[in-house]
Amino acid sequence: MSESDFVALGGFVALFALMALRVPIGIAMGLVGVGGFGAIVGWKPALAQLASSPIRTITDYNLSLIPFFILMGVLATNSGMSRELFRSGHAWLKPFRGGLALSTITACAGFAAICGSSVATAATMTKIALPEMRRFGYPDNVATGVVAAGGTLGILIPPSVVLAVYGYITETDVGQLFIAGVVPGLLAVLMYMLTVRIAYGRVLPGGEKFDLREALVSMKKVWAVGLLFVSIIGVIYLGIATPTEAAAVGALLTGIIGVARGRLGRREIIASCTEALRTSVSIYTILIGAMLFGYFLAITQTPQKITAFLVGLDMGAYGTLAIILVFFLVMGCILDAMAMIILLVPIVFPVISQLGFDPIWFGIIIVMTVELGLITPPVGMNVFVINTIARDVSLPTIFGGVLPFVITDVVRLILLILFPAIVMMLPMTMK
Amino acid sequence: MLAALTVVIVASAIGRYGFSTPIPDAFDYSRLLIGAAITWGLASVGFRGSHIKVDLFALMMPPRARRWVDVFAWCVLLFFTVLLCWKMFGRVETTMMNGEGTSDLRMPVWPVMLLIWSGVAAAILTTTAKIVLMAMGYGSLEEHESIDDAAEGASHE
Amino acid sequence: AEVEWRLSHWLPATHPIQPQGIEPWAESIKEASGGRINITIFPAQQLGAAPDHYDMARDGIADVTYVNPGYQAGRFPIASLIEIPFQVTNATDGAAAMHEWYAQYAEKEMPDVKVCMMNPHDPGAFHSKTPIHVPADVSGMNVRPANATIARFVSLLGGSSVQVSAPEAREALSKGVADAMTFPWNSVYLFGIDQILHQHLDMPFYASLQTLLISKASYEALPDDLKTVIDDHCTPEWSKTFSTGWADWEAAGRQKMIDSPDHTLYEPTDDEIALWREAAAPLLDSWKKDVTAKGYDADAIYQSYMDTLEKYGVKY
Ligand code: NA
Ligand code: NA
Repeated sequence: MSESDFVALGGFVALFALMALRVPIGIAMGLVGVGGFGAIVGWKPALAQLASSPIRTITDYNLSLIPFFILMGVLATNSGMSRELFRSGHAWLKPFRGGLALSTITACAGFAAICGSSVATAATMTKIALPEMRRFGYPDNVATGVVAAGGTLGILIPPSVVLAVYGYITETDVGQLFIAGVVPGLLAVLMYMLTVRIAYGRVLPGGEKFDLREALVSMKKVWAVGLLFVSIIGVIYLGIATPTEAAAVGALLTGIIGVARGRLGRREIIASCTEALRTSVSIYTILIGAMLFGYFLAITQTPQKITAFLVGLDMGAYGTLAIILVFFLVMGCILDAMAMIILLVPIVFPVISQLGFDPIWFGIIIVMTVELGLITPPVGMNVFVINTIARDVSLPTIFGGVLPFVITDVVRLILLILFPAIVMMLPMTMK
Repeated sequence: MLAALTVVIVASAIGRYGFSTPIPDAFDYSRLLIGAAITWGLASVGFRGSHIKVDLFALMMPPRARRWVDVFAWCVLLFFTVLLCWKMFGRVETTMMNGEGTSDLRMPVWPVMLLIWSGVAAAILTTTAKIVLMAMGYGSLEEHESIDDAAEGASHE
Repeated sequence: AEVEWRLSHWLPATHPIQPQGIEPWAESIKEASGGRINITIFPAQQLGAAPDHYDMARDGIADVTYVNPGYQAGRFPIASLIEIPFQVTNATDGAAAMHEWYAQYAEKEMPDVKVCMMNPHDPGAFHSKTPIHVPADVSGMNVRPANATIARFVSLLGGSSVQVSAPEAREALSKGVADAMTFPWNSVYLFGIDQILHQHLDMPFYASLQTLLISKASYEALPDDLKTVIDDHCTPEWSKTFSTGWADWEAAGRQKMIDSPDHTLYEPTDDEIALWREAAAPLLDSWKKDVTAKGYDADAIYQSYMDTLEKYGVKY
């Protein structure tokens, strides 16, 4: 090992120590980055990185879609769109056994189509779907498990903040990434519904009588969600506007619909903007830290060395891919989904390119992997959020309820690895 | 104020999209203003304590130990913010001296740069305030908002 | 090695400038120094953003940086003369001429660094959906400009400029947001724009300006014999050698278009060239104003550039 390898290793140790002591992840990365760069190159240049790099990150036009997509999700939540999705889904699905659980999944998918985040999707659906399911005697573990799993659709079905950041880091087309998420997202909905049927079919209440009139009337309220999704994804797919512009338009449209329906007043709009900004800030903080940490890694040539090492193992492309995915699953036990993408993708992406995997396809695969981290113990953000809202349901109960969906997720991941065409068929038509 | 900025930026982006002739410098100004919104938001998040962080270990500690871990963590944040504020000011200064301008109309960039910088300066104050409050036993760090329970925070469902 | 230098640039490692310009140059330095100077290349903004590369050399983040001074509009007014259209015919002897000319002012305008080489790309052309023959044809068009100077030129001609990055340009053109762009020849193929723009104005329209800079502190720290090695690699001849690979690569794109039935190249007549020059005159005036404002003798600097281009036989 050379001297710079030792500094790099020390850097990682310091990074994890600081993170364990609750230092914000971005700040830990930034400090270790500057410190490591200083130790190898010198303090004046290291501090000079602080002068230029953070300002470049926060004023980067390509990242400005983040605040807009987040704002759109917050506004959609505050205008009650999630409740309408759930009601409409139920009106259509109620003849089936476990109809409320099925409509929770469709409502999660519908909400995911206008919201860029998984945790937000899980949080809002918990408040709406959980009380209903309990009222009709659904067991706690099933009710919370469905919401936790359904919530993960938030970052797979476009728009997705996590996919957008992945695209930025790897210089992959964000529009194509979003489009690539559509089919795997629909597949996820289908497989989740099958899971409800197979794993919990026996314990759930039977269907009710279908009322076509009620079902049709319920559609009157959800057209807005459809309109938003079609306008955003259509605009991106047809190449009429950049993802950033689509995000801004989406946020504005959501706000207008909310105001027109009397759901958003001045107070709600201001609160939504403030919350969206705060959330964006915590993402930008990680991005700032990741850039500074990245310069340190570049100077120690760590990514190149890891690439050489992994490729040198000679396990074949899929063997190496498996190692990377398992590594992400393990890290998912302690790290946030966004933090994992920002911290770890720059390190493994060169390996992936060298092995000849498609960057769009890998984006979907890796997002599905970090998504799994949201519902696996000990740290599963979605599970935590549900637990915060439904205090009387214990964490083990929720983790237990979500287990069948974890198994489905793994099966889906394997399917997408075996049949990349499921991911690639839509984006291929864009070129 | 943060809210107003966000709305202004949304509006400017809409304007850019709505008219086939781009508004001159909208590109430069919208990205610079987002930068300013972010640093001012940094001040807000520094006070709330809702940065993305690993809460797992801290939550396993007894309350007293956790309080001092939190104070330590926020001292590290303060240290970083002070360094950033100091170095960034140099950047604002060179922008001013070199007369860097926007790409279309060559309007000076430094006033917006100063606005961005002042957000970082405000973050020093809010982070310090948070440390003092926590050390005296008032308040703690919030469990972090992942991509967002923002939704939850603002929700009135 | 005794001296380990970091060279930072912002293009992908596969861009012709790395294998055909930077690598042979670094190799030659290694050889001439008997292996005492080793230069490690960091491509693709690994050490910092493209517009920060001047400051990165100044601050010692890298020892050698590849800089486009045009990325910081207004900061290097003298150097920006090179961006004004219709001045230079090629990028190889042109590079040597620019080197010789700018060496007179480098110390003043870029005091923190040693300007080692000038590296313009092969003069870019005007590519469009409908034919452009004279300046009036640009009126009402949406153009993706190569740099801020071309953007101002486009608005002088009554067109409007569309600010998108080079990779986004194809999309902007195909969806009709833009109708034309200025670009070097082979880059048109590289970005797939040959399938959208079939009309080409065949004249050396504009030059872009890239430079290779060496941190002054790093240079001063060298022993005298190694300073000589570096000096020998920062000459007008090296500027020419350094620029040749990329220039030839771009020029090959022009030949490819001439040979292709899908593309129409139009060579303007002398009268039309005169119209273009006349249209560009206000750019030179505002350049003179900017440079005078900074306390330089604009006319003398301009005259010197013209004389040097003449001397190398590359004046357009
Ligand atoms: Na989504
Ligand atoms: Na987990």
